Amino acid sequence: MEITTRTEQDVTVLVLVGHLDSNTSPEAQQALDAILAGGGRKVVIDFRALDYISSAGLRVLLGTAKRLSQERGALRLFGLNETVREVFEISGFATILTVVDTEANALRGL
Amino acid sequence: MRPGFRIGIGAETLWDGADRVGAKFAEFAEAQGLPAAIRRGVSVALDELLANTIAYGGAARIVVDVTLHPNRLSVMLIDDGKPFDPFGQEAPPAPLPGTALPLEERSIGGEGIHLVRRMMDDVRYERRADRNVVVLTKRL
Repeated sequence: MEITTRTEQDVTVLVLVGHLDSNTSPEAQQALDAILAGGGRKVVIDFRALDYISSAGLRVLLGTAKRLSQERGALRLFGLNETVREVFEISGFATILTVVDTEANALRGL
Repeated sequence: MRPGFRIGIGAETLWDGADRVGAKFAEFAEAQGLPAAIRRGVSVALDELLANTIAYGGAARIVVDVTLHPNRLSVMLIDDGKPFDPFGQEAPPAPLPGTALPLEERSIGGEGIHLVRRMMDDVRYERRADRNVVVLTKRL
């Protein structure tokens, strides 16, 4: 898995490339922890190059979303492929996390 | 002989082994021209089941056997851990209890197996001699 981050004003955009599964979720967890530790409260995750996600990956997202919500921050995701979308729908994550289609929509109003 | 592969992973390297299984499957799926949706669905199922077995099953060795039939893909996982049927719980009604809860009350448990059930067309478990045998079927 490849993870890059960049900032757009006060929003941190995290780009995930590859698979978010039990092997790679600790890496994603570290990257998200680092953003929060650095004071980041508005996080957008770019899923366009994420091939698939397993429940280990969902766990990382859920934990981060909860922490950001407690800190009055926000987490938005965009660019989910068909398989990732299916996993979100099956697990009910499609309704508890904020999922939008494009980066522009993710950044709008944050 | 039908296209397929068999890969074994051993005790010291189970987590690395799970990664190797994933890579081997991706390579096989690519070579056979399997549709992306099927490739990703099976990859998720493999990750869920291997992670479960490695984390809780106490297995020293896991073997994964993949066979491509004319109209279905069959994935068999065999491990020598303690007897455990991952599908032993009744299939929950959809949506899974808790899936409609708001963010603050949501926790994750049993999600992985729920995903496997929903993404595969058939899931079976049997205890064969002193091995756990799981067979997944995905129609093509």
